[in-house]
Amino acid sequence: MESTKFSLLTKEEVDRKWWEIGDFFRRNSLWMLMYCTGCCAIELPPAMTSAYDMERLGMGPMATPRQADVLLVTGYLSLKTLRRLIYTYEQMSEPKYVVGIGSCTINGGIYHDSHAVINQLDQYIPVDVYVAGCMPNTEAVMNGFVDLMRLIKSKKANGWKKYHKNNEWYKKNQIDSLGEVRVKDEFHD
Amino acid sequence: MIISILMGISVAFFGFVLQTSIAGVNRKIIGRVQKRYGPKWYQEFLDIFKLLSKRSVTHGWIFDFGVIMALGGIIATAMFMPITNDLMAFPGFDNFFIFVYLIAVGMLGMAMSASGSGNPLASIGVMRALTTMLAYEIPFMIIVLTIIKLTGHSSLSEIAMFQQTAVAGLEFSGTWFMIALPVGFAVAFLSLMGMLGKKPFETYIAPAEIASGPMVEYGGKQLGMLFIMHEITVFIEVSLFVHLFLGGAENIWIFLIKYFLVYTSVNLISNVNGRFKIDQVVVFFYKWPLLFAVMQAFVAIYLGWVI
Amino acid sequence: MASLEFLVIIALLGGVLAYLVGKLSKVVGASLTVLVSGFIFVSVAYFGLNGSLDASITYLPFVSFEATDLYLGTSFGILVTFIFFMVSFFNPYFVDKFKYPSLYSMFYLFSLAGVLGVFFTDDFLVLFFFFELVVWTSLFLIPLGKSKKAASWYYGFSAFGSFSLLFAIFVMRNTAGSFNINDGLSMVGGSDQILVFILLMVAAFAKLGAFPLHIWLPKVLGNSPDPVTSVFSGGLEKLGAFVAVMGLVKLAPVGPVIEAIDMALGQYLIAILGALTIVFGTLMAIRQDDAKKLIAYSSMSNGGYILVALTLLNDTSVSGALYHVLIHALASTAAFLAIGAVNRQTGTTKMSELGGMIHKMPVTYIVYLIAIISMAGIPPMGGFVSKWLIFQSVINEGMILIAIATFFGSIGSFLYVFRPLAALFLGQELPEFRKVIKEAPFFMLLPMIILSGLNIFTGVHPSVILQYINNVLAELGVTELGITTWTLSGNNGDLYPALIAVVFGVGVVIAFIIFIVLKKSRKVDLMDTYTAGNFVYTEELLHYSVDFYAPIERLYEKHINIMKDFYKGIAKKVQEFGSFVKYFFFTNKPEITVLWVVIVLGILLLWGDLL
Repeated sequence: MESTKFSLLTKEEVDRKWWEIGDFFRRNSLWMLMYCTGCCAIELPPAMTSAYDMERLGMGPMATPRQADVLLVTGYLSLKTLRRLIYTYEQMSEPKYVVGIGSCTINGGIYHDSHAVINQLDQYIPVDVYVAGCMPNTEAVMNGFVDLMRLIKSKKANGWKKYHKNNEWYKKNQIDSLGEVRVKDEFHD
Repeated sequence: MIISILMGISVAFFGFVLQTSIAGVNRKIIGRVQKRYGPKWYQEFLDIFKLLSKRSVTHGWIFDFGVIMALGGIIATAMFMPITNDLMAFPGFDNFFIFVYLIAVGMLGMAMSASGSGNPLASIGVMRALTTMLAYEIPFMIIVLTIIKLTGHSSLSEIAMFQQTAVAGLEFSGTWFMIALPVGFAVAFLSLMGMLGKKPFETYIAPAEIASGPMVEYGGKQLGMLFIMHEITVFIEVSLFVHLFLGGAENIWIFLIKYFLVYTSVNLISNVNGRFKIDQVVVFFYKWPLLFAVMQAFVAIYLGWVI
Repeated sequence: MASLEFLVIIALLGGVLAYLVGKLSKVVGASLTVLVSGFIFVSVAYFGLNGSLDASITYLPFVSFEATDLYLGTSFGILVTFIFFMVSFFNPYFVDKFKYPSLYSMFYLFSLAGVLGVFFTDDFLVLFFFFELVVWTSLFLIPLGKSKKAASWYYGFSAFGSFSLLFAIFVMRNTAGSFNINDGLSMVGGSDQILVFILLMVAAFAKLGAFPLHIWLPKVLGNSPDPVTSVFSGGLEKLGAFVAVMGLVKLAPVGPVIEAIDMALGQYLIAILGALTIVFGTLMAIRQDDAKKLIAYSSMSNGGYILVALTLLNDTSVSGALYHVLIHALASTAAFLAIGAVNRQTGTTKMSELGGMIHKMPVTYIVYLIAIISMAGIPPMGGFVSKWLIFQSVINEGMILIAIATFFGSIGSFLYVFRPLAALFLGQELPEFRKVIKEAPFFMLLPMIILSGLNIFTGVHPSVILQYINNVLAELGVTELGITTWTLSGNNGDLYPALIAVVFGVGVVIAFIIFIVLKKSRKVDLMDTYTAGNFVYTEELLHYSVDFYAPIERLYEKHINIMKDFYKGIAKKVQEFGSFVKYFFFTNKPEITVLWVVIVLGILLLWGDLL
C-alpha cells in the first residue's frame, strides 16, 4: 500500500492551497472603490470614521479601480452611470467583488418605475453581497462587509468568475438596456 | 563578497519587515489619535501579500520593467545601509551620496513605469514628486554638508560613531547633531517629512485630487511591489536621519527605539496637517528652511558655533 | 609613430575629397566623413595612449606641435575625435536634408582638423589659428538647420571670445617673449596676470556657453542640424573647457586669498559665475518644450559644474572636472543622437507634438535612458562618479553658496531629463506616428549603443580612466587622486563604483524573481486607463506633455528674459552710439568729417609723446 504521508500534492491541490492562503489575505484587506451614486453613500462616513471604524477590519477607501478589491454601489443607477459602472468594474483587477447597498440595487427601490434608472443591478454585473434597506443602517453596512468576508472564506464570493462564465448573458443585458456600453459621440471626445 | 551581499540582502529584508511592522503600529496609533480602534499591527503585511496574490493588468513592457527597476534600485540602496555601528554589509562604503543618488534609480524606475501607463494623472503625480524633491532636497543637503564638513566623513557609520563618543582632539565630537545643530535638525526634520511624502507635502499622492498620482494605474503584483519599495524607501530615509542626527546606534535595540520615535513623530505631526499646493511646497521650502539651513551652515562652519 | 601634422593634413584633404565626392553622390561623400574621422580617432587614440604621437615632422610652415608630456591635450583630443567619429555615423542619414550636402561633409572634417590643432599645439598663434578654423567651419554648419539667426548669435559671442583670447595671447607674448603656451602662462604676472586671467575666462565662457555668455548655446544647439548639435555639445564646447583649464589651473590663482574658504578671489568669482551657470541652465532647461533646446540648456548647466570644479584646484575637484568633461561629452552626445534619431523618424523634436515613441523605437529609448541616468548623476552610470568627486571637493572647501547651486543643479537635472522621457518616449502612443514610425536604421543605432556602453563602463570601472587623468593632474601640478583598482578615495570617504553596480544588479535580480513567480498580468491597451469612468477616445487628451512643470515654472517665468534683455539693451546702446557718431562725424558736410579725422589722427600720432 502506498503511504499517503509523503505523497506529493497534485498541481490542483497546490493551487487550491495557494488560493486559500490568498483568500486569507484578501478577506483581511478589502480595499473599496466607492461608487457613490445615491443617498446610501451617507452611511459610509460613519462606517469609516471613529463611530464604526472600518479600518479595524482591514478595509479602506482607494482611489482607482485598478487598486481596489470591492466595488461599492451605493444606491440607484441611472443609465448614464451604469455605463461608467460597467467600465469601472471591468478595469478592476481580479479577484474582485461587488457590494450593492440599498434597495435600489436590488429592485429599483423608490425609483422602480423611473424610465432612466435600472432596477436590478444583478442583471448587468454580478453582485456578491446585498445590503438591503432604504437606507440601510450603518450596522447593516458593516454586517454586509463581514458577510462578504465570510463568503470569501467559504469560496462563495465568485461573482467575478460568473462574469467570465456568463459574459455573453451579461453583455446582452447591458446592450439591451443601454444600446451600447461605451458611447462614442461628440460629448465623449 | 558573497557573504557581504547576502548580509546586504538580509539588511534590506530586515528593513522591509521593520518598516512594515512599524507602519502597521503607526496606523494603530493614528487610529487611537482619531478615537478609533485601528487596524491590526500586521495589517500592512496583509495588504502587501493580498496585492501580490491578485491578477493585475499591464500596459506594456516598460510598465513592468520600471517596477522591477524601482524595487531593484531600492533594495540595492537598502543593502548599503548600516544598522548599528558594526552591523552593515559593506563597511566603509556607506557613503551618504550613495543613498541620495542610488535611491533616485528606484524613483526613476517608478516614474518611468508610471508615465509608461499612459495615464495623465500618473505623469502629473511624477511631475509633482520631482518638484517636491527639488524643494526639500536643497535645505537637507546643506545641513548634511555642514555635518560632513564638521565630521570630515561622509560615511554614515563614521558620522554616527563621531556623535556617540567624545574623542579628545576631535572638535564637536560626542554630541548628537540633533543637539549640536538644533536649527539644522528642525530643517532636516521638515525635509524628512517631505521625503516621506507626509501630510503637508503629500502633494504628489493626493488621492482625492489626482487619484493617488503615480500609482493610479497599478493593481495587483505591480502595486504590491511598489508597496514593498515604498516601505524600504521609508526605512532608508528614516535610518539615514537616525544616523545623521540621532547618533546612530550601538546596538539593534537602540536603533529600533530611535527609528520608532522618529517615524512616529513624523506621522503624528503629519496627521494634524492639511495639504499644500505644489507651488506652495516649493515656496515653503525655499523660504525659511533654506534660509535657516544656510544660516546654520555659516554659523557652524565659519564661526564654529556648535553646541 | 604617427605625425600629428599628417593627421591634420589628412583631415583637411579628406574634407576636400568629401566635397568633391559629395558633388557626385551626397551619401558617399558623407560616408567618407565616417572613414576619415574614424581613421583620425583610431590613430590619435592608439598612438596617443602609447605616447608615440610624433610632432617633429613638419609639413606645414609656422605650425608646431608638442608631443612630449602632453596628457591634457591628448585626453581632450581622444575624447573629441571620438565624438566626431561617433556622430559621423549620422551624417549619411541626414545629409540629403541639407541645402549644401557636400559642403557639410567638408566643413565637418575641417572642424575636426581645427580641433586636433587646438589640442595638440604648443604655440599660442597656432592655437588661435585653429580656434578660428573651428569657429569659422562650425559657423557654416549651423545655418544648414532650422535657423540662420542662430549662426549670427554664435558668431557674435565666438568673436568676442576669440578676440579676448587674441588679446590675452598678445599680453602674454609681451612678457614671455615667445608664443609658447606654457612659457606664456607661467611667466605672466602682476596686473598683466589679472588681465590675462579675465581674458582667458571670457574666451572659455564664450566657448563653453557659461553665464553670462550663454545666450548663443541653446539657440545654436536647438536649431542646427542634429549631427552638428551632437558635435557641438560633445566636442566643440569642450574647447571652452580646455581654455578654462589653461586659465584656471595652468595660470597661477589670481587675486587675494579669502581666508575662510582658502581660495583666491579670482577663482571664487569664477566659481560664483559657474554656480549661476548651473542654476540658470537648470531653470531654463525645465521650461523648454523643444527636446534639443532642453538638452542644450543641460549642457550649459553641466559646463557650470566643470567651471566650479576647476576653480577648486585640488585632487578630487580637478579630476572630477576632467572626468565630468568626458562623462558629459558621452552622455549628452548619446542623448542628442537619440533625439536626432527621433527627429529623423518623425520630423520634429517638440515634446508637445510627440508621444509613445518607445513602442516603435525601444533601442533609442534605452540609449536615451542610459544617457539621462548618467547626466543626472545617478549610479551605476558615469555621471555619479564625476558628481561625487565634485561634491567631495565642494563640501571639503565648505562653500555653502556654491553647494546650493550644485545640489540644485543636480536635483533639477532629474526634473528636466525626465521630461523628454515622459513626454516624448512614454505616455500615450499618438495615432499619427503609430503607423509610419520604425526604429532607426542599424548604423544610426551603432554609435548610440557604443556610447551607452561607455556610459555604463565609466560608471562601473572609472579607475582606468581616472588613472589616465592622474597623469594629466601630474602634468598640471595638482595632487593626484588616490585610486586603487576598484576604489576611489575622496576627501571624506571612499567610493567603490563596481560594488554599487553589482549590488544594483543583485537588487534587480531579486525584484525580477519576485515579479516572475507571481501571477502573470493581463495585457491591456494604453487607452484602457483610469479616466474616472469617462469614455475618452483621443490619445492627445490622455497625454500630459504641454507645460509639464507648469507649477514650478510659474514661480520664475517672469524673470527668464533678464539676460536676453540685457544683451538687447547693450545692442541698442551700441546702435544709439553709432547713430550719435554718425550724426557728429559723418554729416552731409565733408569738411566737418575731414576735420574730425584730422583731429583724431593728430591725437593718435601724438599719443605717448606729448599727451
